[in-house]
Amino acid sequence: MGEAKKKVLVVDDDQDDLKMISMILEPEGYEVVTAENGIEALKKVESEDPDLILLDVMMPELNGFAACDKLKSSPESQGIPIVLLTGVAKQITKTKYPIDGVLRAQAEEYLEKPVDPEELLRVVAGFLS
Amino acid sequence: MASTQKANCWDVMACDYGPACSEPCPAVLDVTSTGVNGGVNAGRICWTVPGTLCFGEPQGDFVDKQETCLACRFFLQVRDEEGQDFRFVKLAQGIRDAEILHARITQVESLMGIRDRLRARFNLDAVIAETVRQARILTQAQRSLVLLLRGSPPRLHGEFTLRGRAVRVDIPFDESSAVGYAAVNDQTVNVKNPYQAPVQQDDVPFNQAFDEACHCRTDSLLAVPVHDSEGRVLGVITAANSEKGAFSQDDQWFMRRYAVEVGLAIEKARLLQEATAAGRMASISESLAGLSHFLKDVAHALTGTSFIIRRAIERGRMDDVRTAWEILDRHVKRLVDLCKDVLTYDPERPDEICPGNLNDTVADAVSLLQAEARTRAIELTTDLGPGLNRWPHSKRGIYRCVVNLVVNSFDACLPGGGHIAVATQCRGGQAVIQVSDDGQGMDAESREQVLEAFKTGNKARGSGLGLPTVVDIVERHGGRVEVDSEPESGSTFTVFLPGVG
Repeated sequence: MGEAKKKVLVVDDDQDDLKMISMILEPEGYEVVTAENGIEALKKVESEDPDLILLDVMMPELNGFAACDKLKSSPESQGIPIVLLTGVAKQITKTKYPIDGVLRAQAEEYLEKPVDPEELLRVVAGFLS
Repeated sequence: MASTQKANCWDVMACDYGPACSEPCPAVLDVTSTGVNGGVNAGRICWTVPGTLCFGEPQGDFVDKQETCLACRFFLQVRDEEGQDFRFVKLAQGIRDAEILHARITQVESLMGIRDRLRARFNLDAVIAETVRQARILTQAQRSLVLLLRGSPPRLHGEFTLRGRAVRVDIPFDESSAVGYAAVNDQTVNVKNPYQAPVQQDDVPFNQAFDEACHCRTDSLLAVPVHDSEGRVLGVITAANSEKGAFSQDDQWFMRRYAVEVGLAIEKARLLQEATAAGRMASISESLAGLSHFLKDVAHALTGTSFIIRRAIERGRMDDVRTAWEILDRHVKRLVDLCKDVLTYDPERPDEICPGNLNDTVADAVSLLQAEARTRAIELTTDLGPGLNRWPHSKRGIYRCVVNLVVNSFDACLPGGGHIAVATQCRGGQAVIQVSDDGQGMDAESREQVLEAFKTGNKARGSGLGLPTVVDIVERHGGRVEVDSEPESGSTFTVFLPGVG
């Protein structure tokens, strides 16, 4: 770990999921900030300037895909790596977010639910070390 | 002409709306009927004319006014006067003018209650019940009955009501009865004394099997085969014991038309069954999609919390154990609830209608679809009204109805999301379940198509929408479904379920 804690923005509309992901990350030395939907996430990116974003796909208001699009098209936030958490890998292959190709240009990585916590930590560490 | 000297209804009934009136009764104006039973225009067959002005009030069509007409002294007078030549209905035979022919067929169909009463019905049993009721009235028979071929080897099965009690009839598919004879030989049988005609087998009196099965003696019998559209015999429609002593040519004609209606209804029921099966598959696959999403959610939480707990124990962080344990607990409970639901909705269990909490059933169906709604950015809300705690319904059936209607609304919602409201209330002694969306709505044409799916179980559209499934289930509850929709202002499907009694 560096001297300053790395900051991760976790975006999920489910309170339990938010709490759980935070509890997986915090003991490993990450600072976690949370948002409950895409719109709140955009605001938190501005105010908190996170080092990494974990974005759930299925959310009301602005869903994960749309939020990802917005973040990647804004010059201020396009440098922040995004990891999508999704239960619908099949849907990604069917939409404009195929797993290979375009998706990599949008989000840096995606993890399919149920997410293996060890793998989550590995992926997060990969971006933040 | 001698025939025009016979008394017309306006003469006998001292009617104010006769030919002298400036705005006479429709029976006076019906030139297509002149000469029937020897009358002027419809003067001696007024019962077939809709909207006659009997008693100074406009009457309905025959189905509406039949009770009055059949007891009317003028009707009975004409019947007595005409005897063997009495025409109950103006048949279309021999008419060349297309317009008159069309008018007559329409009249006859309305007389027989075919258009409104039979075709609007979905359920085969209801069609048969209505057909025999109408056939019994029109042919003035003591009883009427539809027998259908079932089983292997096939036998003729049917049911009728005798002195308020249901009697099941089950007779062999052979020539030992006039009814069996009609089915085996695919031939109309119209006999005055079914014990004498047309064949006698060994020492068994002809028709004994039928009478024993019906627990009553048949004096006159009219039996007409029922066919499917390929011409295969499906069964027989019968009328027994004419009040006139024997069944007339008109009666025979009526029964042939009813036989066609029953044949159509059977085919329709078969299509509906196929569509329902397809709809059921569609709803199962929707349910599976919901289920798989649910399981992923739960597995995600269990994997995460078990990791947190294991690591927290290793590091002695007991606060984390407690917090994670609470999350874990909630998800274990969701799993347990799901297991209970799966048991409740076991498709092998019979579809019983019994009192239960209708709101619970509706809420269960909605909660299964919440995950799917979220992926579509659709807000799915419920507003469940009081008074439905012990409402008679099939839990599985209504669950499926709600799933079908909500899935249907998903498709109606615009790509950017939307709002679907599911509401229940108890109104006017009925339970009302309403599924409304703010989606694209339907233009007149689509609404027609949906209504068509309601009425006819149209296979092509039905299986996709699952609407015939909804109609089928709701009709089995003795209820009905309505749809209300305008383009761009969403659609509302309303299910009405009757209460007790």
